[in-house]
Amino acid sequence: MNENETPLSGDESMKLINEMIGKAKQSYVSKGIASMVWGALIVICSLLTWAQVQYKFSLGFDIWLLVFFAVVPQVYFSIKEKKQRTFVGHNETIMAYLWTAFGICILILTIYGNKVGANSSASLFMMLYGIPTFVTGGVFKFKPMIWGGLICWGLSVGSMFTPFTTDMLFMAACGLFAWLLPGIICWNNYKKQQSCNV
Amino acid sequence: MFKELDPILHSQLRLAVMSLLISVKEAEFTFLKEKTNSTAGNLSVQINKLKDAGYIDVTKQFSNNYPQTICKVTKKGIEAFEAYVKALQSYMNPNGQ
Repeated sequence: MNENETPLSGDESMKLINEMIGKAKQSYVSKGIASMVWGALIVICSLLTWAQVQYKFSLGFDIWLLVFFAVVPQVYFSIKEKKQRTFVGHNETIMAYLWTAFGICILILTIYGNKVGANSSASLFMMLYGIPTFVTGGVFKFKPMIWGGLICWGLSVGSMFTPFTTDMLFMAACGLFAWLLPGIICWNNYKKQQSCNV
Repeated sequence: MFKELDPILHSQLRLAVMSLLISVKEAEFTFLKEKTNSTAGNLSVQINKLKDAGYIDVTKQFSNNYPQTICKVTKKGIEAFEAYVKALQSYMNPNGQ
C-alpha cells in the first residue's frame, strides 16, 4: 500500500473503504469442517438407528455415543483454528455462547430422553437442532443454514405424528440440511477463495 | 456547505486500517499488515497516529513467547469513521444533502 500521505479523492476513499471491508469479510469464511463432521454423524447415527429398528438387528452398543466422542476432536480443531486466526469477529463471542448452550441442552435432553424414553424426545432434539442453525445462518446471512433451521423445525412438527422409525429418517434429514450440506457449501466457498488468493 | 474531512482518516493507510478494524472486533498487527500490503514500519507509524488520536486501542502482549500487538477501534474511532463516511457522501452527492 502507498506509504505516502497523498490525500485521496472521495471516490478513492469510498473504494478503499469498500475494498478493506470486503477483505475483512473474506477472512470470515469458515472451512465448514465442524459442520460437516457434526452433520455426517447425525446422518449416520440416525440411519443406523433406523436400520436397527427396521431390520431388527443390534449393533451391540449405542451408536449415539459416537456423537459424544466426536465432541473431543471438534473442540480440539475449534481451539486450533482460533489460535491460528489473527482477528476476532464481532459475533464470535455470541456464537461461542450459543453453541455451548446448544451442547449443554443436547446433553440435558439426552439424559431426559434416557429417562422418559428416546421415542418421545426425537421431536425435541430436532426442535433444538433448529435453534443454533437458524441463528447462525441469520447472523452470518448464510441462507443454507437459515433453511436448515427451518427444515429442522418443520420436521420436528412432522415427527409428532410419525412413528419412531420415520422420526429417525427425519433426524437424518435434519443432519443433512442443517449441517452437512451447509458445511459442504462452506468448504467449497473456502476452496474457491483459496484458489482466488493464489 | 461541505463538511471538512477528518485529516487523521483522510490518508490511505490509516483509512484502510480503520476500515478493517470497523469490520472486526479486534485484530492483530499481522492481520492489518497482510490485508493492507504495507510495511511493518509504516503501519506501525500510522497505528500510533490513530492511537494518539484516540481512534484505536493498542494492546501489546506475549503469545507463545512471541510479541503480539492487538488493535481495536474505540467508540471515538467509530464516531469519527461514521462522520468521515457521511462527509464523503456529502462530497460525492452534494444534491442529496
